Amino acid sequence: MHIDFFNNVFEENASSPAIIWQDHTLDYSWIRNEIKRSLQFLSDNQVKNGEVVALRGDFTPTTICLLMALIENQNIIVPFNYEIKESDTKKFVIAQVEKIISVDVTTDQYSISKTENIADHNYYKTLNDRKVPGLVLFTSGTSGQPKGAVHDFTKLLNKFRAKRTALRTVNFLLFDHWGGLNTLLHTLSNAGVVLATKDRKPEEICKFIEKHKIELLPTSPTFLNLLILSEVYKKYDLSSLKLITYGTEPMPGSTLTKAKAIFSNIQFQQTYGLIELGVLRSKSKSDDSLWVKVGGEGFELRVVENILQIKADSAMLGYLNAPSPFTEDGYFITGDFVEQDGEYLKILGRKSEIINVGGEKVYPQEVENVILEFENVVDVTVYGEKHPLTGNIVCAKVLVSKELDKAQFIRELKSFCKQKMQSFKVPVKISIEEGTLHNDRFKKRRQL
Amino acid sequence: MRDVVLKVIYEAIDEVNIDLETPVLKNEDSSLFGENSILDSMGLVHLITSIEQKLEEETGNYLSIADERAMSMESSPFKTVKTLADYITKLIDEQ
Repeated sequence: MHIDFFNNVFEENASSPAIIWQDHTLDYSWIRNEIKRSLQFLSDNQVKNGEVVALRGDFTPTTICLLMALIENQNIIVPFNYEIKESDTKKFVIAQVEKIISVDVTTDQYSISKTENIADHNYYKTLNDRKVPGLVLFTSGTSGQPKGAVHDFTKLLNKFRAKRTALRTVNFLLFDHWGGLNTLLHTLSNAGVVLATKDRKPEEICKFIEKHKIELLPTSPTFLNLLILSEVYKKYDLSSLKLITYGTEPMPGSTLTKAKAIFSNIQFQQTYGLIELGVLRSKSKSDDSLWVKVGGEGFELRVVENILQIKADSAMLGYLNAPSPFTEDGYFITGDFVEQDGEYLKILGRKSEIINVGGEKVYPQEVENVILEFENVVDVTVYGEKHPLTGNIVCAKVLVSKELDKAQFIRELKSFCKQKMQSFKVPVKISIEEGTLHNDRFKKRRQL
Repeated sequence: MRDVVLKVIYEAIDEVNIDLETPVLKNEDSSLFGENSILDSMGLVHLITSIEQKLEEETGNYLSIADERAMSMESSPFKTVKTLADYITKLIDEQ
């Protein structure tokens, strides 16, 4: 019932390729049959309507079909990446996960296990009263405690009813986030081909783009930065690529300029999505502009004290383990600082990441943008540290491209920063790092 | 020890001076922060952090110079090169 409109698409396109996985091509009739098998599996294992089920996997054929089956079976789904982290066990408890289905990313074999948890959260009761499937997504939260956002899955699915074109898209964004699921559901609802790879390193992605003639790469600014610096794009034919979308974190102006220069035939588009609301339609002012118009049907936006607030039809019910982030009139307070120019917005950064130096606000991105322009800098993360003199000081971890005299490099970098910005923004402490400064989501780690 | 501290302070002043139009003078009576001083608060923060880093290189130990105690002292240790050198030497002796 809940996936009827998907089933119609699958039936109409029965012989079209649906998934290419490990060099096998599976068509839409395979998907239809596999969803039926998955539903049988759920019933064989007494997975009842309304139960909270964790689905661990990646964008492999059976994971995709199990996901669709769980929606149809009216379950509350908590997606996890295949690799279980320590924090994930905490999430099982927060989400009151009752059953866990794990799908091996290499073999695509799956198994189910039970937990001791009892799902009795009020939001779950609401979903069960509505007789709808649910989706629980986690946001890292600023205090380090993950927050579980509970969605009515049918509201998120509604937008896929409208037909659009499906470009050949690499499912780059991860399985446990709406960005990744959004790509998947968009592809399926428009009878496109799901193209996923386990390995998300720049070289592998370039190879994948060449091999599968990928048209759309949805990614993050940090990944783009790594791609540019690695120069691996020179080795592959990426001419099939038409569009690169980026979101999940603010884009440094310097990265966008460089990316535009290298990929001059590719269109760049900013996306704006939130775990609590879903993905909003967005339109950049121009290709190389950070000004963006976001919204679309079902979304109302307003800016209150420089912070973006959004009212959305597809908004979550609330957090499992945190107070409501909604205003009395139903707007979600995003915590994103924005600048406004008519109907266009520029996203400056998270309120929680702003460094307050003696009462002056410093946006980490702004400082990072300057440092990225400096010679031999590969990547940088700017963060605040408490200091008795000014409340906080600006600190920077810098990844460099070659061995160099650290003391001299730091001196020169500080001088460079002092010429480019006000003195309170200049990093007081600079450390030189080797390795990577991003997490497996290709987002910067600012909590150290 | 005080000689080492002075040397470190002067080295740090050299660094801060690179970006200053009027340099901070390198003598014990030179005013650092307060009346007639050249440094603003960010200048002082940079100077102190630089001293902390250089001291760590010299002595192998991290010493926090600007802490609650320094802030709450009746007479600021950051007034002149002399008061700062005295304060740091005292902190090292206490370690």
